[in-house]
Amino acid sequence: RCLQAASVGKREAEEESTALPDSYGVADSFPKDFGYGEEEAEIEDSPTSSDSKPRILLMGLRRSGKSSIQKVVFHKMSPNETLFLESTNKIYKDDISSSSFVNFQIWDFPGQVDFFDPTFDYEMIFRGTGALIFVIDAQDDYVEALGRLHLTVSRAYRVNPEINFEVFIHKVDGLSDDHKIETQRDIHQRANDDLADASLEKLHLSFYLTSIYDHSIFEAFSKVVQKLIPQLPTLENLLNIFISNSGIEKAFLFDVTSKIYIATDSSPVDMQSYELCCDMIDVVIDVSCIYGLREDGSGSAYDKESMAIIKLNNTTVLYLKEVTKFLALVCILREESFERKGLIDYNFHCFRKAIHEVFEVGVSAQRPGGPKALGSPCNKAVALNGTARSAL
Amino acid sequence: MNALVALCHFCELHGPRTLFCTEALHPPSPDPSSQTGTPVPGDRDRDGDREGEGLTMRANSSTTPRGEMCEGCRSLPASHPGFVSFDDETGIRFLSHQHPRQPQLFSMVRQACVRSLSCEVCPGREGPIFFGDEQQGFVFSHTFFIKDSLARGFQRWYSIVIVAMDRIYLINSWPFLLRHLKLTIHSLQSTALKVFDSEQGVCPHRAMRINNAFSPAVFPHQRSGNAARSLTSLTQHPNLWASLHSSFSWLLKACGSRLTEKLLEGAPTEDTLVLIERRTEQEEMSCWEGAEGGGSESQLYHSASQLGLDFLCDDSKLEQLPGPKFRSLRHLRQVLGAADFRQLAWHVLMGNQVIWRGADPVLIQSAFTVLKTLLPVGCVRSVAYSDRYEEAYKCNFLGLSPDVPIPAHVSSSEFSVLVDVTSERSHATSAAGEDDISAFNHFSISSASTQPTDRGPTLLNKLEAALSNENLSVDVVSHCLLCLKEEWMNKVKVLFKFSKVDGRGREDTQRVLAVLGATGPGEEENVRLLKYWMTGLSKLYKSHLMTAVRGGERSLSQ
Repeated sequence: RCLQAASVGKREAEEESTALPDSYGVADSFPKDFGYGEEEAEIEDSPTSSDSKPRILLMGLRRSGKSSIQKVVFHKMSPNETLFLESTNKIYKDDISSSSFVNFQIWDFPGQVDFFDPTFDYEMIFRGTGALIFVIDAQDDYVEALGRLHLTVSRAYRVNPEINFEVFIHKVDGLSDDHKIETQRDIHQRANDDLADASLEKLHLSFYLTSIYDHSIFEAFSKVVQKLIPQLPTLENLLNIFISNSGIEKAFLFDVTSKIYIATDSSPVDMQSYELCCDMIDVVIDVSCIYGLREDGSGSAYDKESMAIIKLNNTTVLYLKEVTKFLALVCILREESFERKGLIDYNFHCFRKAIHEVFEVGVSAQRPGGPKALGSPCNKAVALNGTARSAL
Repeated sequence: MNALVALCHFCELHGPRTLFCTEALHPPSPDPSSQTGTPVPGDRDRDGDREGEGLTMRANSSTTPRGEMCEGCRSLPASHPGFVSFDDETGIRFLSHQHPRQPQLFSMVRQACVRSLSCEVCPGREGPIFFGDEQQGFVFSHTFFIKDSLARGFQRWYSIVIVAMDRIYLINSWPFLLRHLKLTIHSLQSTALKVFDSEQGVCPHRAMRINNAFSPAVFPHQRSGNAARSLTSLTQHPNLWASLHSSFSWLLKACGSRLTEKLLEGAPTEDTLVLIERRTEQEEMSCWEGAEGGGSESQLYHSASQLGLDFLCDDSKLEQLPGPKFRSLRHLRQVLGAADFRQLAWHVLMGNQVIWRGADPVLIQSAFTVLKTLLPVGCVRSVAYSDRYEEAYKCNFLGLSPDVPIPAHVSSSEFSVLVDVTSERSHATSAAGEDDISAFNHFSISSASTQPTDRGPTLLNKLEAALSNENLSVDVVSHCLLCLKEEWMNKVKVLFKFSKVDGRGREDTQRVLAVLGATGPGEEENVRLLKYWMTGLSKLYKSHLMTAVRGGERSLSQ
């Protein structure tokens, strides 16, 4: 079905048909609970429904910045305010699925408590975990942190080898560029040496340089989340098709509340364009919050009608449009490409429909009665579609 | 109270830690199996050694990879001997130190501490919660913040935990514990707030932190640099730990004396209830009198002890007095002879006044003690020994000196019986003769009553059978009597409910009596006994029956 929708959109776009179909905006019977069927099926044995969402764990030594990351990324806390955060004394389970596409629980751990103590059930913690983010303070001596990193990931791997292990080399805002590279290289080297010594070569660690004072933390978190989305290749293909047929330079599919991008096209991500898109979301949501609500304060700052076009002085145009309740498409394109706005709008319409269908498949595959097989042919079809594109 | 109070803290460097711990140490209970009755000094030394061992063992076992301590998670230095308070009344010692002495207690407190600070969620963060299990004990925990201008978030996270194995007890003490812990916590918080405010006045730390964050001078951050501050420096209270010790010790003591547990084997008998009721009344009365004037204390004590003597511990006192005594009902029966005993017991059970007149108060009192066991406690009103006649409504057991005259209306009344004890012994009491009461005393029983005493009541018939059966020991007879009394007391309850509360007619009552087995030979006596014993029911029971029935009627009519 995705293949059909996407390819139809493309074919029509090639014909440069400017007619807007009457079905515009009809496909909004979007189920609220679109999730990631595979992930949820994995942990069906978990007792309660709140625990059944895949987890992202934030671990690391005390004062490494775990709570700050969680607050800045998911609660819009100003980075300066994080100076006044209390030390975390227990695991804070943050369920953001009601306001965000990121249908996970973020578990923020206290660095002081040793959860490998026999009194804690650490197997339970790791069993339902999708990603483990280990935060290392780059401004501090990280030898102790590396020891803890090794202990944590090796034990977690033994319980659940499916976990994605992510290492945030954090607080790099105070470091010079050379120093950053050197630190990352050193940490990478030592951590992998430790794993090799324990003959855990299969355990893969991903490293990110992060800071809450710029967009690097959002970028790193985006990559962590993307790995947990099974539909990612489909989404990327759809984006590729969309931009190549609309003359767009770069397109991001954003989670609006957290400013995490859950997918982008296959061209390399340039930090500045990502920041630009983040800023655009802030502007749109802020303006919408101030002027978009009704007199009595009801209504939402982000809904079906949300869209914005910003023209910059360097012949660049920013284009934002609602895709789902939580997702927005943000594109960067040249002014001359924007002359064919009708085409872009139409292609977007097809793109939106395709996205909805992708997630509907996810939901129906999840249903016990529904044919589970539906998910995989769809993915295959899209992969085929990807190859077909080059032929076209 | 068999519990342990501990102050816990979430240290910024080391996580949850136990800061200060007060435990109650009960005096060793006398162990009958042990060979040495009293502990010799050497014993105590060995005990001390063991304690020392416990300490070192604990120190070794508790060392986590990060077992070191900072200012913030230490209360008393290891060299400090700790605090001890003695409770003279109970012999309980209250010990306070950083950690409990015994290793198993240590792990329980450690677990409670970690759970209270890092696991359990209290709505609103500050407040009381309850958790625990049979293995690790049950915990009442109250979490709270203490202001600190140097801490992350400008506050530190503390909790007071009370660990006990008895869940019911702990939950029953909840309101008490909460009320008093709140006082302690408020005083800690308010003193810390004062210190915080004065520190903020000198140097606003909020602004300083922002400035520091962006100045390269403090880079890189020193992780170990900002050592946590102790609670003493946060409150500027030099005797903080001593005062915490006293408040925790008081809490344990007061909580323990607030609720006392009593092991009841089976339901309480009516006699127990009456006794409890009397004691409460007596306490209330003494409080009342005490409030009126402090001068009457000795008198109060006197009357209280007399009351106590009357129905509680006269036997034990009597034992110590010299002279011949009645030891049991069977003894009394042997001395008086079966017929006289039957007559006397009959009068006692019918509620007639029993007057003993004689020169030996100890003998008379012992007779009363034995006779009283025939009646429910609620029916006994006795004057042990008096110089003048007391009216029947005041007492049903009256002891008199030999020369006191009996008023004519009493001696002619069929509701009284007089026992004259004439002593034939003028010489000093010989030790050999002590047991042989009948050898020296003559008992003559006289009553104006013309009723035959040989038919009933059923209770007396059965008792006599038991008394005359020499195969039964005195102990068995007394148990038999107890059962008979309970049996008839239950009948009294039914009759009371039936006739007094429900107000049924004579015919119905007759049927009930038949059901109860009170009819047949000796019916008249049985009924008299039942009616008399009604006066001995406990007030609580009576009022309960009244209200319950009234309530039932009301709900029926509704």
